[in-house]
Amino acid sequence: MQLVEKIIKGERAAIAKAITLVESSRENDKNESRKLISELLNKPGKSIRVGFSGPPGVGKSTFIESFGRYLVEKNYKLGILAIDPSSQITGGSILGDKTRMIEISKNPNTFIRSTPSRGSLGGISVGTREASIILDAAGYDFIFIETVGVGQSETMATNLVDIFSLIVGPGSGDELQGIKKGITEYADIFIVNKNDGDLKSEASKTASDYKSAISYYKKSDDTADKEVLLVSAIEQTGMKKVIETIQNIVSQNKKNKNFDERRAKQFTYWIEEEVREIIQFNIQKKIRADGSISQLSQKVMDGKIQMFEAIEAITQNLQNK
Amino acid sequence: MKTKNSDNYTKWQKSFERETKIDLNEASSETDEGIKIKPVYTKADIENLSFVDNDSLPGQLPYTRGPKASMYTNRPWTIRQYAGFSTAEESNDFYKKNLKSGQKGLSVAFDLPTHRGYDSDDDLVMGDVGKAGVAIDTVEDMKILFNDIPLDQMSVSMTMNGAVLPVLSSFIVAGEEQNVNKNLLSGTIQNDILKEFMVRNTYIYPPDPSMKIVADIIEFTSKEMPKFNSISISGYHMQEAGADNVLELAYTLADGMEYVRAALSKGLDIDDFAPRLSFFFAIGTDFFMEIAKLRAARTLWYKIMKDFGAKNEKSLILRTHCQTSGVSLTEKDPYNNIIRTSYEALSAILGGTQSLHTNSFDEAIALPTDESARIARNTQLILQNETGVTNTVDPLAGSYFIESLTDELSKKAWEVIEEIESLGGMTKAVKAGVPKLKIEESATKKQAKVDSGSRVVVGVNKFKNPKEPKVDVRVIDNNRVRDDQIKKINDVKASRDQKAVDESLAKLVTAAKEDSNLLARSIDAIKNRATVGEVSKALEQVYGRHFATSLSVSGVYGKHFEGDEDFMNVTKKVNIFEEENGRRPRVLVVKMGQDGHDRGAKIVATSFADMGFDVDMGPLFQSPKDVAKDAIENDVHAIGVSTLAAGHKTLVPELMKSLKEIDPKSKIIVFVGGVIPEQDYNFLYENNISAIFGPGSNIIESAEKVIDLISDKIHEHN
Repeated sequence: MQLVEKIIKGERAAIAKAITLVESSRENDKNESRKLISELLNKPGKSIRVGFSGPPGVGKSTFIESFGRYLVEKNYKLGILAIDPSSQITGGSILGDKTRMIEISKNPNTFIRSTPSRGSLGGISVGTREASIILDAAGYDFIFIETVGVGQSETMATNLVDIFSLIVGPGSGDELQGIKKGITEYADIFIVNKNDGDLKSEASKTASDYKSAISYYKKSDDTADKEVLLVSAIEQTGMKKVIETIQNIVSQNKKNKNFDERRAKQFTYWIEEEVREIIQFNIQKKIRADGSISQLSQKVMDGKIQMFEAIEAITQNLQNK
Repeated sequence: MKTKNSDNYTKWQKSFERETKIDLNEASSETDEGIKIKPVYTKADIENLSFVDNDSLPGQLPYTRGPKASMYTNRPWTIRQYAGFSTAEESNDFYKKNLKSGQKGLSVAFDLPTHRGYDSDDDLVMGDVGKAGVAIDTVEDMKILFNDIPLDQMSVSMTMNGAVLPVLSSFIVAGEEQNVNKNLLSGTIQNDILKEFMVRNTYIYPPDPSMKIVADIIEFTSKEMPKFNSISISGYHMQEAGADNVLELAYTLADGMEYVRAALSKGLDIDDFAPRLSFFFAIGTDFFMEIAKLRAARTLWYKIMKDFGAKNEKSLILRTHCQTSGVSLTEKDPYNNIIRTSYEALSAILGGTQSLHTNSFDEAIALPTDESARIARNTQLILQNETGVTNTVDPLAGSYFIESLTDELSKKAWEVIEEIESLGGMTKAVKAGVPKLKIEESATKKQAKVDSGSRVVVGVNKFKNPKEPKVDVRVIDNNRVRDDQIKKINDVKASRDQKAVDESLAKLVTAAKEDSNLLARSIDAIKNRATVGEVSKALEQVYGRHFATSLSVSGVYGKHFEGDEDFMNVTKKVNIFEEENGRRPRVLVVKMGQDGHDRGAKIVATSFADMGFDVDMGPLFQSPKDVAKDAIENDVHAIGVSTLAAGHKTLVPELMKSLKEIDPKSKIIVFVGGVIPEQDYNFLYENNISAIFGPGSNIIESAEKVIDLISDKIHEHN
């Protein structure tokens, strides 16, 4: 497949077209996409996938710009997948992350792709996992996945990334109570941004709030310790510590096999999900094929039969086929 | 008496309802500001006003009726036409011609690289040199600009905000080298950085150091340049960017308050600098509202300054320059613009402005020609000499409608001012992006009204001219201008004392680190022939360059079109497109070069998204290469280039080249919108541009055309 070679060579347009393919909602694109990903999985790269999430307004994109600049100066290749919410009403979206990633978006060692969420999987878009495999094969050292809101922490941490980090702002310690369980469980790193100017003391206080919160977390195994870090995206401070922490966690988790286990688990989830999707699609097609479902539901509406009878009739019918 | 009045009113109401067949309660119209305009106003409407004092006279507090007792009866307003043409030589010629034909003051427009602190030889500004104004790289250019114009006699207004230090320094040194001491220089420097963060985007440094520079200039001029206005607090660009009059008025005054605080923090006494603060408002087509706005502005500023503890009467008075609205001009049927501008000018005069710029009718497409500039100036000369408007001060005072409108506008603006104050003042509000977003929301609403036809624009969405007239516009060869400027820079650099330049720049950097006054140090550097770019870059080492984060509104545009057939038609096409292609049509909307006017780009982005497109927004000030990378990585179907500063002839072909460099088989289509003279259309089409949308284009029609072009392109390849 020509596309695979081009991706491995790192051709920008080919990578972009491949991501379009894996994001496509068209049925024949899905088969193409599965074939492409299978081939790429045979040629894995060496990327570390890092997830960034956090409530709106904490400066996620600004942090990524700042941290990204630090990394590309050290000659790392950086792929960024930014997921923006689509409008519930129109389905359209404004993908504005790049207005906050001005310097790194110019750099030849970056690839930045925004994706509209299309309301799926609580903010993780269709194809994000596949897109990260494409960027991995294309030779990117780090793949950052940025999402809006903390609601998709679990999905992101368990399905997509090697390290999951939560970006928070000064003074967010109060909100901590409500989300404590989720975050202590899923986040590997807590990044307290805006550690600058008037907000410095507030930021330090927030960092200690998080530190005490994660101290309640009981580690069940020998995974790396969770870390709380203070940074200023606008002053570009604390970046060295972030990359060191990421690298430490990765090497520790690689040593004790947690790294591979996490990836293996994600793989299992993924295959399950794909199988479920295919089965669902096939069943739906079958159910709708003879039109009996609309006749049956009409009968339920008219009070001629009970709903459970309709359901039974359809499942019976499926099993017989 | 009272009974008689109310009897009369009841009688009138009956007649009104009989004539119109409309219930009086439903006969009011609503303005953009959300103010209800009634069919009739009576004495009852001017009783119990909150801000306006019905008994006050011109030149008396709260100065609603004008800053001076005699106003135009003694001396008419100053005709001050804003202009700048590419090179200092051409601009100088133009100024001298205008002064001969009756103009009293000068107003300099600079090109974008100068605004943003780049020299003409900087790679980043390739497409922008000499566009939209004059390029100033060194004091030598400034000297040519004022050649044979005695600076001790001529009042000079300079629209400069970002690179205010090197440009004001160049002006001071140019004066010195004409043997005019700086204490004799008169005029105004705009120096209003806060509104740049809201709308115009020609800033250089982040908000805090930018405010320090403003305060330094106020401090320096209050001590050394008693005849010079240190700042022109501008609402003009807010209205141009789509702000309604309440937002324009409130944000401008809130900016003013922030500058007063910045100057006070320097230890200055308020009465030492406040008399030199001046204002600048836009005058749009809402005739009475604009009159009320100027009257309300003076009324509110009086209150604000009194609260600050000002004692000198001159500190309490708001003096303002006005300019007719550029955004009200249309590309279609352009001679209508002469008429629009005339009414706007009359509004400004009835509102009591101190000076006025009237736009040329061709400014929707290009810089004015000699002929169009003459018509614009004559608009004011006719008002002054033929109409009799100068014979009576504030002739509309006591009008039930005007007084009530003035008061209502004041009240609404005061609420907005209090909102900004509650955020901790304008610098903080600007950092949070609040005013920018509010203005964009207002702009989107206005655009939706025009596109849906609920607002009539003659010659655009109604009463169209079947035979569009051809208009000759001024053409600028910016490559020639750039080459000339580069040569001049090289000459200056070859003959200057490099050691003196380096030392004075080092001292400037030290001053920035030590927080001492920067204007004095910058004057030294300019005197030694440091360039505008070098001075700006020296400070950039300390302060960094500011990059704005960009928020977007959504849903505002679409709301105006619920059930609209054309709108639904496009959303339907978008949905069909998604089914066929597995994704929505995806468009990257960009600005390239140093042009920061992003109203058009923002409106296109939000309205396309409301119609169901996926819209990528690029950051401001991108190079064509950056745009190409962005477009290809996101695999967009189309790029929409918004251009308002005439850089398109260089930047668009550059973009097409960059796209092909990254992906020789690229199928991305490119369309262009904004200010593009018709004679450039062929050039753009020859460069494979798929569509051009001029000012006043209907966005729904444009969106439909874009989706059709994208579909054609896809089918052509399949």
